[in-house]
Amino acid sequence: MAAAALLELRRVSVAGRGGVPRLEGVNLVIEPGERVALLGPSGAGKSTLLTVANGLLPPSSGEVLWQGEAPARSRRLRRRQQARIGTLWQDLRLIDELSVQQNLNAGRLAAWSWPRALLNLLLPLDTPANAAVLARVDLAPELLDQPVAALSGGQRQRVAIARLLRQDPTLLLADEPLASLDPRLAASLLALLLAEVTPPRALLLSLHRPDLLAGFDRVIGLRSGRVMFDAVAGDLQGAAGVARLKELYRGDTSALEETIGTDPAQTPPGR
Amino acid sequence: MSRSFGRQTPAADGPGKPFGGNTGPASGLRPAAPLLVLLPSLVLLPLLVVLPFQVHGGGLDLIGQFALAALTPSLDPLVLRSALTGLATTVGMALLGWAASLVLGVLLGLASSRTLWRNALGPIWPAELIRRLLAIPRAIHELLWGLLLLQLVGLEPVVAVVAIAIPFGALVARVVADLLDGLNTGRLDALRLAGAPAPAALLTALGPPLLPGLLSYGGYRLECALRSATLLGVFGLGGLGTDLKLTLQSLEFHELWTGLWLLLAVMLALETGLGWLRRRWLMPPRLGLGRAGVGLRGREIVLALAALVPLTFGVGWALGVDPRALLAWQSLQGLGGRGWLDGARLLALPWPALIGGTVALTLLAAALAVGLPPLQLLVSAPWPPARRLVRLSWALARLWPPPLTALLLLLVLQPGLITAALALGLHNAGILGRLLAEALADGSSAKEQALSSAGVGPRLALLYGRYPAVARPYLAYGAYRADVLLRETVVVGLVGATGLGSQLLESLSSFAWDQLLALVAAYALLTLLGEELSDRVRRRLLQRA
Repeated sequence: MAAAALLELRRVSVAGRGGVPRLEGVNLVIEPGERVALLGPSGAGKSTLLTVANGLLPPSSGEVLWQGEAPARSRRLRRRQQARIGTLWQDLRLIDELSVQQNLNAGRLAAWSWPRALLNLLLPLDTPANAAVLARVDLAPELLDQPVAALSGGQRQRVAIARLLRQDPTLLLADEPLASLDPRLAASLLALLLAEVTPPRALLLSLHRPDLLAGFDRVIGLRSGRVMFDAVAGDLQGAAGVARLKELYRGDTSALEETIGTDPAQTPPGR
Repeated sequence: MSRSFGRQTPAADGPGKPFGGNTGPASGLRPAAPLLVLLPSLVLLPLLVVLPFQVHGGGLDLIGQFALAALTPSLDPLVLRSALTGLATTVGMALLGWAASLVLGVLLGLASSRTLWRNALGPIWPAELIRRLLAIPRAIHELLWGLLLLQLVGLEPVVAVVAIAIPFGALVARVVADLLDGLNTGRLDALRLAGAPAPAALLTALGPPLLPGLLSYGGYRLECALRSATLLGVFGLGGLGTDLKLTLQSLEFHELWTGLWLLLAVMLALETGLGWLRRRWLMPPRLGLGRAGVGLRGREIVLALAALVPLTFGVGWALGVDPRALLAWQSLQGLGGRGWLDGARLLALPWPALIGGTVALTLLAAALAVGLPPLQLLVSAPWPPARRLVRLSWALARLWPPPLTALLLLLVLQPGLITAALALGLHNAGILGRLLAEALADGSSAKEQALSSAGVGPRLALLYGRYPAVARPYLAYGAYRADVLLRETVVVGLVGATGLGSQLLESLSSFAWDQLLALVAAYALLTLLGEELSDRVRRRLLQRA
């Protein structure tokens, strides 16, 4: 158990419309402490892979193992497994109608009892813990009482990360959290996320563009639902690495040219 | 489909402003949106405490028989034929009353639009005047119109049609006028400045943006008309409602269910069909009314509307609806005779108790109607079969006229405020439940999924992931519904034992015309007050969203 991988996918396939599979025979292992980037052009199946990994989408075939265990048959036990997996969504999925504090507490809902969950909608709960996670994402505790809808884009991103920290998962999944952000903000948010990944925690983060790879231990290239390569980050440097990336993005050069080219500010719109 | 719920723009309040801005001290209790939705259901607590004392043992086995009979409706050809005939009459009356109310409503709506008067003629006071006057027919429930007309012209098919058309027409008129005056007049002003004559400019600038909202609302009124026509039948104005009441009173539950299932099939078909059209023509969803929609397929819409005209006339002919019957007034028994107006008798009515009873009945029923659906959805969230059962119970509740529910409840409960409130509340919970389910289905499931992917249970995922977005529009609609409920209290007057409604039915059956007039006037006044109040609540709820 102690040595078990946090996440293991074995020959995972997900059927798609018109006979084109969204994932096909994907094998993947994430060990504690690892920082893994999931790279690929749009439509490669990155989001699908992440929703399979967090249990939202059961695969058509193959196995998903969380810390060596298959998803439990009982809903209660499976929820307990899922509570150890936290997802940072590209659209953040914050609850606009609630305050920052209530949103942060939403990260604890899996662990909370009913009365507590209701009380959170009435009273400020766990203010010290919430202030602490806000501090870790460089936000002031004064924001706790604000409605989320009143925050700026960058603040919302940070609140979403803070909510993840409140959930305190061992496996962090992130679905293109940096798309549609300006490069400076993207870099600072990535730094925040990476700083939170210390053993036994691990991170699997999907990226559309192959810049910002510094700080990752491993890079997995996904194309048309298949794993093209699963490499140590250092192996992607130099001419051989660029060739591999070019192969990954064959037919979708925009993402690659931008990062290898001159103008990193021109971010392609997020999917 | 456009998001119906005012999605707030980020930083609309300015970053420094605390939650909502105008709330009390920071440490006070502030129920958040999803909790607000659940608050009305707190009324269940005192109700459940009081209810056991209202039970008389009598008819428990009858209730059981009634429920069991649902599985074995009578399939006797005679029963089926009678139910089908009754159903056809009810549907026909609904269709005619609805069509008449649309024509009436659009015309009156145009006549009470400030924008229209300002552009066509100049002064806007006629619009205000017509608007005020229309409040009177609107404030009187269709059942009252029906019963009054029944006394005036006798049992004619046209009575039910007109009874529906009058209040519905006034309601449609208000919506049309509000939609019209709520539209941005920029385009209109531009056309006028360019020298276009008023009628052409009005039609071009206001017609297209008005149509989707109007059609969506109009379709919804047809559903209401079907419910009203059934209700009128219960009070003897013909159609399936009459059969339902007779079979219930004679405890022929199997025959009763034959009619009920048929009615349910028609109602669900109508609701599904209208929902399909609404999506096909990209009409605004119901809770998003008032936001201008985006219409599609204009030619198809015009053709469909044109097809309604011969259909309406055909149905009218088949039902023997003859508008001339309206002109042949009967002399009202006792009216005009010496002493028909008796001031002392009027003052002798227990006015405070009557009004208090009506208000209490309204509030109790409204809390039930608004509070039950979100609670039921929440409780049944983990089990799909239970969710389907809740949906079915809503469908039955909204098609089952409240006075019949009341009769059924009387089998086990004592007559009184609580029984009447239960009957009204359950019926309206069926209506609100469907709206809530529709709004939830239209909304995004992303947040609910995000929560369940993190191991949050289905109930809390629903509460946190789905309810926040629908909370305020739902409650705003609930406020509007409370105002409808006030009008509707008359239909459970039979079992109310308190309130204006029961007194009114009593005065009607004893031909006390002076009392009747005074009671109708009191009802109208109360309704107008309620309308004003619910409007304010609604505006506040939607503004803070």
